[in-house]
Amino acid sequence: MDGAIDRTNGEPVVRVDRVSHFFGDGDSRNQVLFRNCISIDAGQLVILTGPSGSGKTTLLSLIGALRSVQDGAIRVLGQELAGLPPAALVSMRRNIGFIFQAHNLFESLTALENVKMAMQLTGMPAREMRARGVEMLERLGLGHRVGYLPRALSGGQRQRVAVARAVVSRPKLVLADEPTAALDKESSSVVISLLKRMTVEDGATVIIVTHDNRILDLADRIVNMVDGSIVSDVTLHDAIRICELLRATDLFKQLTPAEITNIAEKMTRRVFRADDVIIREGDPGDLLFLIGSGEVDVSQRGPDGRSAVVATVGTGRVIGERALIVDEPRNATCAAATEVEAFSLAKADFIAAIEGSASFKNQIQSIYFQRQ
Amino acid sequence: MRVPLAWRNLVADPAQLARATAGVAFAVTLMMVEIGFGNAYIESMVQLIRRLDGDLVLVSSVKYQFDRVSPFSRRQLYAARAVEGVASVRPLYMKRLESVWRNPQDHTLHAVQAFAFDPDQPVFRLPEIAAQLAALRTPDTVMFDRNDRDILGRVDAGTETELDRHAVKVIGTFWLGPDFFNDGNVVMSDRTYFKIFGGTGADGTDLPDPEVGVIKVAPGYRAAAVQSALRAVLPGDVTVMTKQELIDQEARWQARWSPVGPLFTAGTVIGFAVGMLISYQILFSELADQIPQYATLKAMGYRNAYIVGSVAEQAVWYALVGFAPAWLLSLVLFRTLAAAVVVPLRMTVDLTVESLVLALGMCLLSAFIAVRRVLKTDPAELF
Repeated sequence: MDGAIDRTNGEPVVRVDRVSHFFGDGDSRNQVLFRNCISIDAGQLVILTGPSGSGKTTLLSLIGALRSVQDGAIRVLGQELAGLPPAALVSMRRNIGFIFQAHNLFESLTALENVKMAMQLTGMPAREMRARGVEMLERLGLGHRVGYLPRALSGGQRQRVAVARAVVSRPKLVLADEPTAALDKESSSVVISLLKRMTVEDGATVIIVTHDNRILDLADRIVNMVDGSIVSDVTLHDAIRICELLRATDLFKQLTPAEITNIAEKMTRRVFRADDVIIREGDPGDLLFLIGSGEVDVSQRGPDGRSAVVATVGTGRVIGERALIVDEPRNATCAAATEVEAFSLAKADFIAAIEGSASFKNQIQSIYFQRQ
Repeated sequence: MRVPLAWRNLVADPAQLARATAGVAFAVTLMMVEIGFGNAYIESMVQLIRRLDGDLVLVSSVKYQFDRVSPFSRRQLYAARAVEGVASVRPLYMKRLESVWRNPQDHTLHAVQAFAFDPDQPVFRLPEIAAQLAALRTPDTVMFDRNDRDILGRVDAGTETELDRHAVKVIGTFWLGPDFFNDGNVVMSDRTYFKIFGGTGADGTDLPDPEVGVIKVAPGYRAAAVQSALRAVLPGDVTVMTKQELIDQEARWQARWSPVGPLFTAGTVIGFAVGMLISYQILFSELADQIPQYATLKAMGYRNAYIVGSVAEQAVWYALVGFAPAWLLSLVLFRTLAAAVVVPLRMTVDLTVESLVLALGMCLLSAFIAVRRVLKTDPAELF
């Protein structure tokens, strides 16, 4: 999926560029990730979902510098990970907070000492380590358990200690694998609220691999992986807007809310500067665009070979769909007249949407084929 | 202050700590007893040399161990006396393993070491013998080592018995101690010795050749210089050593080449190996239980050096907590055994330090082997 979000300011906290990954060697070599791209900005809480074996934990471990990048590039917190020697990867990990499915606390250490293990790496003075450790445990509702050994804590309390250990050093990036799997509803809420607060107050980026639907509400973005590829990357704020825009178009208005949501989740936000060419006449059709904001000039070449603007379209208009439906080259050039925010949909996803809905198919045929 | 992970891991499970302490203490005790016996064995073989009243010793050059009877011609004694810086050269005669003592009570026969010297030229630094020099001049009198094994019988001044089937009378006792092969010591004059064991020459009527010449250096002369001068003068069939050189030579031979010394070394090695096995099992099972925790540390950015250091620190603690009871147990064992078998089995500073170093080495070595599994863990597997 070529879905990198165009950025205009600041470097993303995580930038994954065409990353593939393999396990095993020789005949047993097995590709588990396929040219994945994703950029994640500071302050985002991203949920990574997908079926078991889809590659999400492998991707998470690559972002966390727990594995070496084999193919492609990953830049985390301004540091390129590909080609880093193991010792540098270890140093890199000190900037990242990890929350694992299992709490992995030392049974011999108290809750506070387990949390301090994360801070002593930073060379923090003992008094400050204690103060921050106690404060973090208090924030997670464990102020009365700082001196307890893990065996004296419930499963949920242990997991909260593990969360405290991961975030007490205020990392700019937190990677979590099913952090709420062992938690009851209340504990889960406390933990996720804390992570969300970190994104808002500290500008931290949190990536969570989870199947827990209870925490979807707080996500800024949901990335879905299937068979080693990112198949959807939905910024929830954008998705709602796309649905509203799609519902207002002639092309998509007869679809059910579920079908519209499904298409919206597959659309990717793109930003074009004025004069950028969005669609070029004569090119094969591979994407359609829904204009979110800005104006687009539509021009066609005349018999004399000269192009002329035949229309200017704006917010809510779909462009480029014809070439996808009739499977012909583009019949017009679309260029941004102003800065344009658009949402692209790949041809394959568009065709799949058509095939998946009889009414949509009929509508398309009535619009594009009966008038030919 | 850093989180004391190693110490916390050590004391987290008292039952496990007790098992570990017992295991390490057992191995350390094994090593201490072996080293202690080895030391006692060597000390018993050199204790007589320590009590020679001289600066240098003259012995046959083929006398590679003190036990080996290798007398040299008494002409060398006279030649040595003529060297500048030599105050005196006094002969010591000895029979080891060949002199037989009869228990005065039950009349059983046992091997003792028999030493003899001219009472006018005393060679021992033993006050009790020095006090009886005049009495020793009486033929068929001996002094008896009261630090003997009980098997030789109850012996006091006035006891009459046999030495090598000759009737002898005990005129006094002294304190020395047996070695691992002889059950006691008997000291007599050269004349009594000659009478009992015979002399040299074709008909055995000549004075016996000395086994050791005990040399005193005249005041104002350095022992090393006199030693060099003697070596220059004397033929190659004798050698001149300082007392310490002779002790070192004997200790070295007994430790390396005798049939007994290497057994103690082997016992120490076995104790070390057993200890390594025990401490490895303890550490390995502890680490195996904490693989995810250590992998988490690696994920957090801890380097392998920290993990190795932490495990090594825990191994040091195991060595120390196991060493303390082992030391006490060995002390009790030494005292009991030393009294029972009459050997110089002593808890010394050297033995304590050597055992502690071995205990630390044993635990650290097993820690370095056990920690490899942790170092191989891949933190990526935690996800």
